[in-house]
Amino acid sequence: MALVDLVKPEIIKVPLESKSKEAVIRELLQILIDAGRVSDFDAAYDALLAREAKGSTGLEAGIAVPHAKTDTVSTLTLAIGIAPEGIDFRALDGNPSNLFFLMLAPPNQSGPHIEALSEIARITQSKTFCKMLLRARDPEEVADLLTEED
Amino acid sequence: MEGPIRKILVYVDGTEEAITAAQYAVCLAKSTGAELHALYVINTRALNDLVKARIFLDSEEAEYHQDLESDAERYLKHVDKMGSRKGVSVILEKRSGTVHQEIKKYAEEVDVDLLLIGELSHIRSRRDEFYNETERAMRLVHCSVLVVKDEERVWDLYDALPE
Repeated sequence: MALVDLVKPEIIKVPLESKSKEAVIRELLQILIDAGRVSDFDAAYDALLAREAKGSTGLEAGIAVPHAKTDTVSTLTLAIGIAPEGIDFRALDGNPSNLFFLMLAPPNQSGPHIEALSEIARITQSKTFCKMLLRARDPEEVADLLTEED
Repeated sequence: MEGPIRKILVYVDGTEEAITAAQYAVCLAKSTGAELHALYVINTRALNDLVKARIFLDSEEAEYHQDLESDAERYLKHVDKMGSRKGVSVILEKRSGTVHQEIKKYAEEVDVDLLLIGELSHIRSRRDEFYNETERAMRLVHCSVLVVKDEERVWDLYDALPE
């Protein structure tokens, strides 16, 4: 499953309101609950925190990719959040994180999970593209950037 | 076996499209008498990229690698059953590495005449086109390539094959 198949305006929030790591995870998870994509908020939240406890998914250059395997989703599920002012996600480089890609996958879909995560890794390598995402004013613009025809 | 198609390779990645391709491969092998190979590639390149990008921890890489090993076994076994149900034996192969490169290598090693792949996902950007592993394999292999479409029709063809 390509990343573009997962990107819809209803799973994107611009800007995020949260100010802390745990609050960002909750805010993104709530988007998925509201969109009917996650069946159990607490179980999904626990799975994400358990992964974060092993090591932060706040990477370098403002990117964070919280992810977990959980049976609270029936298919690969993504939420995207943008925080232009940055949030302390305890990133590896110590800098605030701006672009959040939260991904949940059912335990039996590791293949698509890996492909989608590597696609995120690839697209976020472009600083210019990340800047464009950060400047996006609404979910539609983010979705357009990620799924654009070119 | 003489004829234009002596060896067929079907690439299986666990998608519905790949299963349809495998059904069609069984139909083709049955009607031509060609030798049928099924290949699954564990995408260790993607796993390594995720560790390099620090999205995956080493322990996660090991866990996901194990998941992919299990997927490979399951899907190849499924193709094997599809073949044996119709009296077609399938040579199963599991490889690890970069998907398109492993497909190319195996096709050359076995000297297949025809590669079968499932219907490609809709390409919406040049980025998709560049990174789609099956698409890249299609461009790279030395042999002819058949993209299998129309799941219902293929299902009917497979169903109608004598056992």
